[in-house]
Amino acid sequence: MKRLFSVALGILTAIGGFVDIGDIVANSETGARFGMSLAWVVVVGVIGICLFAEMAGRVATVSGRAVFDLVRERLGARVALVNLVASFFITFLTLAAEIGGVALAIELATSVNYLLWVPIVAFCVWLVIWRVKFEVMENAFGLLGLTLVVAAVALWRLGPDWGGLLHGATHPVVPQGEGHPTWWFFAIALLGAAMTPYEVFFFSSGAVEEGWSRADLITNRLNVYIGFPLGGLLSLVLMAGATLFLEPRGIQPGHLSQVALPTVLVLGKLGLAVLLIGFFAATFGAALETGLSCGYSIAQYFGFQWGKFVRPAQAPRFHLVVLVSVLAGAGLILTTLDPITVTEYSIVLSAAALPLTYFPILVVANDPDYMGDKVNSRFTNALGSLYLLVLVVVAVATIPLMVLTKAGS
Amino acid sequence: MRRPWVVLGLVLVVAACTGPVRSFPVYESKAGDTAEVVASAVETARLAVDAARDNKAHGRYLTQVLVEAEEDAGSAQGTFDGIQPPDRQADELRDRLDELLTEATGTLAELRIAARRGELAELPKLAAPLTEVAEGLHAFAEDHA
Repeated sequence: MKRLFSVALGILTAIGGFVDIGDIVANSETGARFGMSLAWVVVVGVIGICLFAEMAGRVATVSGRAVFDLVRERLGARVALVNLVASFFITFLTLAAEIGGVALAIELATSVNYLLWVPIVAFCVWLVIWRVKFEVMENAFGLLGLTLVVAAVALWRLGPDWGGLLHGATHPVVPQGEGHPTWWFFAIALLGAAMTPYEVFFFSSGAVEEGWSRADLITNRLNVYIGFPLGGLLSLVLMAGATLFLEPRGIQPGHLSQVALPTVLVLGKLGLAVLLIGFFAATFGAALETGLSCGYSIAQYFGFQWGKFVRPAQAPRFHLVVLVSVLAGAGLILTTLDPITVTEYSIVLSAAALPLTYFPILVVANDPDYMGDKVNSRFTNALGSLYLLVLVVVAVATIPLMVLTKAGS
Repeated sequence: MRRPWVVLGLVLVVAACTGPVRSFPVYESKAGDTAEVVASAVETARLAVDAARDNKAHGRYLTQVLVEAEEDAGSAQGTFDGIQPPDRQADELRDRLDELLTEATGTLAELRIAARRGELAELPKLAAPLTEVAEGLHAFAEDHA
């Protein structure tokens, strides 16, 4: 019974923890501009993140070491350094965006300028990472993030033309007045949001933090194969809400307040309150994950003691990296760079760095020295290779498309 | 060996710069884009006013929505007004759009002021001109896309 509860909790946490500021912004912007025509990208992204997160979780579970702990050992210092630089930069940008996202969520509830909240949010993020137990932290914010389901309730209460939404999703066409390059640019942004590198850093390091053993392989699979797709469904709900409310009116959401409008108009004050809790939990939870991931990546590359499973005094350099990253992230947002713009760039650049993050996972997950009989199956390898091919094409196309479309504007 | 990098650097620098508007079509396209952005802000404000009318959102949230809508519209107008019109035809276009933009930003400012004062019941009355402004902006954006 206890095991069943643990598995259920893991799945619920994975659902609530899947959506972050990148997903919230990217899905709403896409729905408002292109309707459901890019819903397929969310599906592709969710399959991709399931594939690689399962691999990363399996590596951590079988070897007892986080996947990037093994990358340097397996691929050498140079390759691992390229991987580290790309992934760390994106994770840091995402951390800054999440800190800004938390501040924006609080601004919506208080009408006090978000910049005043940024230092407080940064302090709270650091404090939670420093003081709160890993499992408590993960479960609390993951479960609280489930309140985003209120957006799905609003959609259901609205009683939309489900057939029309499904038709829009299954018959993707570029809307009139929009160019193909812009459509593809937004597709890349959505993919970057769904497969952002920190998710695998956090997932594999989290497995070590929680002391997963081979007995937890089933938990790993259930979390990934059930939790992540249901989290992806939340992303699609946000896209559908924007498609129904914002697209017909020509609203181009550039603020978190606009993302909330569909839920507000259907469910009123209660719906708004619950949604704001969801925004807060999703962004705060992701700020914790990205903050930790900054520490994980640097510490695992340089071989420092890392993790919350040891006392902070035993992992001082890990905690120092986390602290400096949180401070620098808050500093970036305090320069008055718009957090939504930071989010947009973080997810697009994340797409450009995806092969560098995911290629090493595929290599390590195929190494029998680490994995024994739990190496990838042929099917997993075929699918993983196909994804890497797609990710390379995406990475090559990202910057030219960004220049050509003026970042989708 | 260094030459390709120099060329690439120059291409990127040139791509990153926005040159002066030298022709009417380019100016017209920028006018259309501005109308689209301001229409988005106006429509956002209209939805917020709908929420206020039906008592579906608290004052702080509505204030925030309206503040941001006004900022977006004001920023778009400021950017457009900073562009040098290339000829007489562009002057006419500028005048037509400016009329709509001024009406939009003026009304959005009134809404923001009322919301900040907690006079939410006043919002629907103050927002009345926005219906026509929104229609005008959408039509302008479509005609000059």
